[in-house]
Amino acid sequence: MTGLRAPRAPGRGAPAAGDGGAGPDAALPQPRGQSARLRLAGWLRRGWRQLTSMRTALILLFLLAVASVPGSVLPQEGIDPAAVAQYYAAHPALAPVLARFSLFNVFAAPWFAATYLLLFVSLAGCVLPRTFRLAGSARQQPPQAPRNLSRLPLAASYTTALEPAAAAAAAGQLLSGRRFRLRTGAGWVAAEKGYLREVGNLLFHIALLALLASVGLGAIFGYKANRLLVTGDSFANTPTALDVFRPGRLVTPSDLAPFSVTLDRFTASYVTSGAETGQPLQFNAALRYSASPGGPVRSYDLRVNHPLVVDGVSVYIIGHGYAPEFRVTDGAGQVVFDDAVPFIPVNQNGLTSEGVIKVPDASPDQLGFAGVFLPTAVDSGGRLESVFPAPLDPRVSLVAYAGSLGMNAGQPQSVYQLDTGHMRQLPISPRPLSPGESMKLPDHAGTLTFTGYKPWVSLAITYDPGQLPALLSGIVALAGLILSFMVRRRRVFARASAGPDGTTIVDLGGLARSDAAGGFDEEFAELAQEIMVAQDGRCLTATWHGTGPPADAPGADETIGTAPGSTDPVTGTSESAVSSTDDESLGHPEGE
Amino acid sequence: MYRMPRPARRVARPALAAPGRTALIALLALCAGASVTGCEGGAIAASTPASGGQSFVSGSYSTTLFRPGSRPAAPAVSGITLTGQRLSTRSYRGDVVVLNFWGSWCAPCRQEAPALAALARHFRSGHVHFLGVDIRDDQASAEAFTRTFGVGYPSLSDPGDEIALQFRSTLPPAGIPSTLVLDRSGHVAGRIVGGVSYSGLKALISEVAAENS
Repeated sequence: MTGLRAPRAPGRGAPAAGDGGAGPDAALPQPRGQSARLRLAGWLRRGWRQLTSMRTALILLFLLAVASVPGSVLPQEGIDPAAVAQYYAAHPALAPVLARFSLFNVFAAPWFAATYLLLFVSLAGCVLPRTFRLAGSARQQPPQAPRNLSRLPLAASYTTALEPAAAAAAAGQLLSGRRFRLRTGAGWVAAEKGYLREVGNLLFHIALLALLASVGLGAIFGYKANRLLVTGDSFANTPTALDVFRPGRLVTPSDLAPFSVTLDRFTASYVTSGAETGQPLQFNAALRYSASPGGPVRSYDLRVNHPLVVDGVSVYIIGHGYAPEFRVTDGAGQVVFDDAVPFIPVNQNGLTSEGVIKVPDASPDQLGFAGVFLPTAVDSGGRLESVFPAPLDPRVSLVAYAGSLGMNAGQPQSVYQLDTGHMRQLPISPRPLSPGESMKLPDHAGTLTFTGYKPWVSLAITYDPGQLPALLSGIVALAGLILSFMVRRRRVFARASAGPDGTTIVDLGGLARSDAAGGFDEEFAELAQEIMVAQDGRCLTATWHGTGPPADAPGADETIGTAPGSTDPVTGTSESAVSSTDDESLGHPEGE
Repeated sequence: MYRMPRPARRVARPALAAPGRTALIALLALCAGASVTGCEGGAIAASTPASGGQSFVSGSYSTTLFRPGSRPAAPAVSGITLTGQRLSTRSYRGDVVVLNFWGSWCAPCRQEAPALAALARHFRSGHVHFLGVDIRDDQASAEAFTRTFGVGYPSLSDPGDEIALQFRSTLPPAGIPSTLVLDRSGHVAGRIVGGVSYSGLKALISEVAAENS
C-alpha cells in the first residue's frame, strides 16, 4: 500500500500522527526526581480538591451529626459525672471499652475535634475562592445581547417608528428605571437583575465559616467549671476554689473574671399532692455577689434557667442537696470537727443522700463515718426511707470507723468516698439521729453530734465568648439562604434594527437563570408591554415558554403590518425552549 | 495508508478511585486528630490540677522560679489568723515570707505538713516567716490539724478565697497545696504547686534569704 504520510507540521520535531492521544510530556523523558515531585504535587492537589469538594463537606457534616449521637445517649463526664459512675457500675465490662473511645466525653474527644476541624478546613478551602468569584460575579456586567433573540424561552418583537438607537435607548431607560443593571451597545441593550442572589449565597457561606470560627473561639478562650456551695459559704472565681475546672487551651488564671459569690439562702418548692408529689417546682438561691474584690455587693435571685451573668460569665444552678452539720469530739475531749458535710442525692424522689465524714485529726485514731441523710424519714417495713424531698423530718444514719484514713500518705482522695481498707468498723447499733442528737462511740473514741443541716447548691460556671457571634452568624446564614432562594437572576435583552418601510423592529428576549418559583413570565410580559408602550410600538410576535401567553400579555399579531388597534386573537407559538443553560451563547459560563 | 491524527482526548475520570478517596479522607482525619489531642486545656491545664477533676495534687507538680530582676510583685496579704488575731505580710517587709496554701481535708497537704513545720522551726531565727492560708476549712478541723502536725506558724483563714484572688494577676496558687516564696522586697521568687520536699524548699529558702534586698 502506498503510504501517504500526514505532512509534518512545520517546526514540530515530534511525530504527530502515530502517537494517537499521547500527551506532550510523554515525548521527552524526564529525570526521576522531577517526576516524583510532580506526582507528589499532583497527589496534594488532588487531595486538596477532594477535601474542599462539596461531597466531602456533606459527608463530614453528616459524620458530625452522627458523632453527636453518643453524646446525647450516653452520660457525659462534663455534665453528670455521677451518672457516668453509675454507668460504670451497671455495665462493668462495656464501660471501659466505651471510655477508650472517649464516648463519655464526646465533645472533647480527638475524633470529634478532627471531624470538626476537617469540616472547617474543607469549608474554608471551598468558600474562600468562591467568595472572590462570587464577589466578582456580583459586579459583573450583563453579557452581550445575542443576535437571535427569538430563540430565547421568552421573546417578543414589535415595530416602532423611532430610530433604532432611540428605540434601544428608550428600552434601556425603562429597564434601568426598574433597577436592572444595563449594558448597551450599538442598537442593543442587555439588562440583568437579581445580583442579590449572589450576595445571599456569599452571606450564607461566610456566615457558616463565621459560625464555625465562633464555636472554635468559645472552645479556645472559654471555660467551664463547677462548684458546690453550702448555704452561708462564699467562693471566688479562682482555680483553687472550683471543684471541677475545664479551661480552654489559651485560658490563664488572670482571664477568670474575679467575682465572688455568697449563698445566703436556698429555697425549693415541690408539688405536694397528686401523682407528681415530690417533683420540684422552683429553686431559688438568694445570692450576694461582687464583680471584683472590694467592689459593690449586689443581690441576685438565682433560679433554674435564670443564670447570674457577671462580666460575661454565666453562673447556673444545676442541682441542690443537703449538707448535715456534725460536731465530732475525739477521745481526748477536743472538738476536732465542726462543719457541714455535703451529702450527694442518690434518689430524686425523696432526695435520699449519701455522704462521708472524715476526721483525720482525731486522736488516738482517725475517725471516719459513712451514711445516709433522709429529709423526710418514714419507716416502711422496718427500713427508713425518705418520701419527700423537703426536710420535714430529717434523720441521719451513720456507720462509724476508726483507724487510718490513708490521707497522711499524700494520695489524693475524693471527699465523697471513704477508704475503709485500714479501718475497723466500730460496734455501735445503728440508730438514726434527729437534729441535736448524739452518737457516743465505744472505747472512748469520741462523740458525734448531728447539730443541724443546711442546703447546698451546685453551680455551673461557664464562659463562652463565642456564643453571641455564633448566634449572629446563624441568623445571617439563614438570611443569606432565604435571600439566595427567593431572588432570581433574570436577564432582558432588546435589539433594535431597521425594518422594512423605514420602521424599526425591536426584538425583546428574556431569560431567567434560576426560576424555580416561576413568576418571570408575568414579569417579562409586563416589561414587554411597558417598553412597547414607551416606544409607541405595535406588537409583532410574542413567544412564551411552554404554554400560551398569559392573559395580560400584549396581543400578538401574526404578521407585520396589521393595523394598530386590531384585535386578532393571540396565537402564541409555544416555542420549544432553547435550553436556558445555553450559556455559551450568552457569554457567561456558570460558575457552579 | 493515511491515518488521521487522533485528537488528544481528555477522558473524564474521577480524580481518585473510590478506595483511594476514602483512604485519603481517613488519613487526613488521622492527622487532624493527632494534632488536636489535648486540645482542651493546654498550658493552663498542665499547671491547674483542678482541671482533672481534683482540687489537689500529689507530689511536686510544678516548680516555677524567677530570677532576681524579673520577679512579679506579690500583693500584701492580710486577714484573721486561726487564733483570732489580725495579721498582715506588710509587717514582714524586709524578710523572706513562705506562703503555704493548705486545707486539713487535702491529703498532699497533710503529707507535706511535717516538712513545713520542721522548716519553720529551722528558720525561726533567720528573718524567714512562714504563713499558712487555710482554704475551705472549718475552725475546729484547722486547729486540730495544727495540733496534729505541730505547726508553729500562724495561718490565715480564707473561706471566701479572697487571698487566692489577690494573686490572680501575678502567680496564683493553681491548686492545693501551693507554696509561694517571697523575697525581701515582696516579690515572688518561686512557686511550688504540689507537696514540697524538705530539702528542696530548704535550698530555695536559703538561696532567697541569702540575697540582698
